[in-house]
Amino acid sequence: MLKDLIMAGLLAVEDYIALHVLTCLVPAFLLAGAMVTFINRGAILYYLGEKSNKIISFPLAGVSSFLLAACSCTVIPVASGLYYSGASIGVVFILLWVAPAANILALTYTGNILGVEMVISRVVAALLMAFIVGIVMSIVFEKKRKVEAIHKDKAPQIIAKKELILILLILACLLLPNYFVRSGGYIYKVLIWAVTTLIMIIYVISVIEKARIKEWLRETWWFVRIIFPLLLIGVFIVGIIGKILPEAWIKNWLGGNSISASFFATLIGAVSYFATMTEAPFVDTLMKLGMGKGPALTLLLTGPGVSLPNWLAIARVFGFKKAVVYVPTIIALGTLIGWLFGNFIF
Amino acid sequence: MKIIVAGPGCPRCKATEENVKKACEELKLEAEITHIYDVKEFPKLGVILTPAVLIDKEVVISGKVPTVQELKEILSKKI
Repeated sequence: MLKDLIMAGLLAVEDYIALHVLTCLVPAFLLAGAMVTFINRGAILYYLGEKSNKIISFPLAGVSSFLLAACSCTVIPVASGLYYSGASIGVVFILLWVAPAANILALTYTGNILGVEMVISRVVAALLMAFIVGIVMSIVFEKKRKVEAIHKDKAPQIIAKKELILILLILACLLLPNYFVRSGGYIYKVLIWAVTTLIMIIYVISVIEKARIKEWLRETWWFVRIIFPLLLIGVFIVGIIGKILPEAWIKNWLGGNSISASFFATLIGAVSYFATMTEAPFVDTLMKLGMGKGPALTLLLTGPGVSLPNWLAIARVFGFKKAVVYVPTIIALGTLIGWLFGNFIF
Repeated sequence: MKIIVAGPGCPRCKATEENVKKACEELKLEAEITHIYDVKEFPKLGVILTPAVLIDKEVVISGKVPTVQELKEILSKKI
């Protein structure tokens, strides 16, 4: 029995990690590292801190969340920094939600495992939920706050052009192998990956300064060191869970696209902590056992997006009342989104 | 000289503190190094992106783990 479980765990590791290392994980980590190194996050925060009107600042917050934090552990300090330096409460909670629920590492991995449709739905649903959360938080809490303004000089540049091109090239390494090779062997994917990566390397060596390359690789290595072990352990556990959980339970509780299945999926996601990226194989495993697409989507979002430790941290940093409004709003919206996408989109 | 490392206790912040200590050691610099973990304190220090390093209340590093070499260069200018 025990041997079977360990085998199941190891098989999952082989399936979800070994097959994705070259064409997904390597470029994804390089991309995350490049974003941290080359994008001037201070500049993005500068624009978000502005007291501009919500029609501009909300979408801006949603989009920049993808760029700001590639990993959920960094988002709370960034959001609190924004909050205490005067950004709108709506903007702060959009960031708190979107950055972990739809960060770039998790998105690329989701695409690789669950397909394009699921990734696009994940992005759209995360943004939809974010705007509603932003509006709710603004209505309940926005009042004139006295804050010390951050000292502001002229508007800073977000990214240099040649480094933006590098980020686009890494994106090409990630997307092209999967775009061109929809059927056929893994070896073709690797071939296209090798070509795009070669182009990227030639570009890097001839255009980017050595010190910047070093900094980029160091940041990348950081992500690998912090996230990769969690991913290995997480996927191993996913394999075991998939073996233990009776299919009948999943079909019963999470099957179909009913509102109750969606609610149950949201609840699982909202309470438990998923290290970034591990939610994708978990959801894939549950889907193979019969979970509906709607509940799958909401679990993908709330899994990494909120968790018990994350509630506590938000309560501690932003105040108990805000957590009490934020968490139930997310659970209600997650349930609704799962049901909505399950019944009308997929 | 007072050096502050600001970070919420993440691995990157710990690495930053270690590098600061190493840099001070290698320069044989006597500095008072403190690590501030409370995120509510960060905005008062002028820190938004962590990990951050402050020397005598001035933010010199923000949003990345500095190398020992980098820190030595900054520190030797401040002496």
